[in-house]
Amino acid sequence: MIIDLQNIRVRKSGQVICAVDTLAVQPGERLLILGGNGSGKTTLLRLIAGLETEYTGRCEVHVDPGQCVYVHQRPYLFRGSVLSNVLFGLRARRIRKPAAEPLALKVLEQLGIQQLAQRSISRLSGGERRRVALARALVLQPRLFLLDEPLAEMDADGAATILQLLADMRQATILIASPTDPPAHPLADGYRSWQLGRSIPIAEQG
Amino acid sequence: MQLLWDGLQEAWRLVSTGDALVMAAAGRTLGISVLAVVLAGSIGLPLGTLLARRSFPGQALLVTVCRAGMALPTVFIGVVCYSIFSRRGVFGPLNLLYTPWVIVIGELMLALPIVVSLTHGAIQALDYRVSETAKTLGAGLLLRWRLYVSEARIGVSLGILTAFARCVTELGIAMMVGGNIAGRTRTLATATALETGKGEFGRGLAMGLILLLMALVVMLVMARFGRQEET
Repeated sequence: MIIDLQNIRVRKSGQVICAVDTLAVQPGERLLILGGNGSGKTTLLRLIAGLETEYTGRCEVHVDPGQCVYVHQRPYLFRGSVLSNVLFGLRARRIRKPAAEPLALKVLEQLGIQQLAQRSISRLSGGERRRVALARALVLQPRLFLLDEPLAEMDADGAATILQLLADMRQATILIASPTDPPAHPLADGYRSWQLGRSIPIAEQG
Repeated sequence: MQLLWDGLQEAWRLVSTGDALVMAAAGRTLGISVLAVVLAGSIGLPLGTLLARRSFPGQALLVTVCRAGMALPTVFIGVVCYSIFSRRGVFGPLNLLYTPWVIVIGELMLALPIVVSLTHGAIQALDYRVSETAKTLGAGLLLRWRLYVSEARIGVSLGILTAFARCVTELGIAMMVGGNIAGRTRTLATATALETGKGEFGRGLAMGLILLLMALVVMLVMARFGRQEET
């Protein structure tokens, strides 16, 4: 088991903002976390990524440090070029530029944005920014990939490219948060749908 | 108005003829201020980042002390430095009083709270996703801190520029611990005070204008450097 959550409650200002009674994810599994606005999808992904530290319950994530990458719903790109952003994580892993650059360019090509490599991030559209953030994460080939609504602001071609890339990551465990109902969702195929946010008892709200 | 015009003419004459005394004072002022600000940046950037990103006992007090330190009168710093570096002071045996080095130390005391406070403010105001994204991409502490400074570059450069502006124009420290010795510790600010004290208002004004021009050139160079980095 790569993720094991039991009786998780995350509270902010006394309110329960995320409640999970039990969630187990196996290595290599693809999970689609479904839920409406405010159901706690983002909080759940942040919890698994280790970014939420105040919670009750048991949260066990069995991956080596640096093997879990989380991409925000509205990703933040660091100042500089597209390429410098994609190189960031490789730099953090002490991979030298001559070795890192071909890897970064390959991922950009796979996402169909290699022509943007030298472009400043201030001159990107919403969809392009999202693709760059995905490239920055994908280049690290994480074992656990947490994506918060990755297809928002994406055109049909972009969405198809990303879905294909995710499908090719056979070794990775992928969790995707999405507000859409499963039948209409293009990601539903191959993913286990898991509904969040319907089981917070009224007594716990306060 | 006539005085200002005379001052402008004299300033032009001093610059265009490359007046040796003025040029030496200008060079010394620039050297001392740059060194003080480089030292303040080396200490202040990590310290400001630490105060913005870590919680520890006394952190809030340290931030308050640094903010209060931004209003330190230069004469007060001069007196403190004098008491430390005078013959009977703790560092008296080093014989640094009336040398440019002690002015650098005094200006470091002037610049440090500015750099720390403005760096702290700029990094604290960063989007929470900067730190989260860096962490999730596996960045270690050093790389994250470099990233914070880079992302908060406008606020951080403002801190450095403000510190530089205060150092280059300060009078109290240079006068108290430098002694305004010609060819050794005379800066543009002390030279301005001296000329004005002698009744040479035009020359004093000229020195002041050169000081202003120097600060302006440094600001323009930094602004241009910032624009180049953007592209």
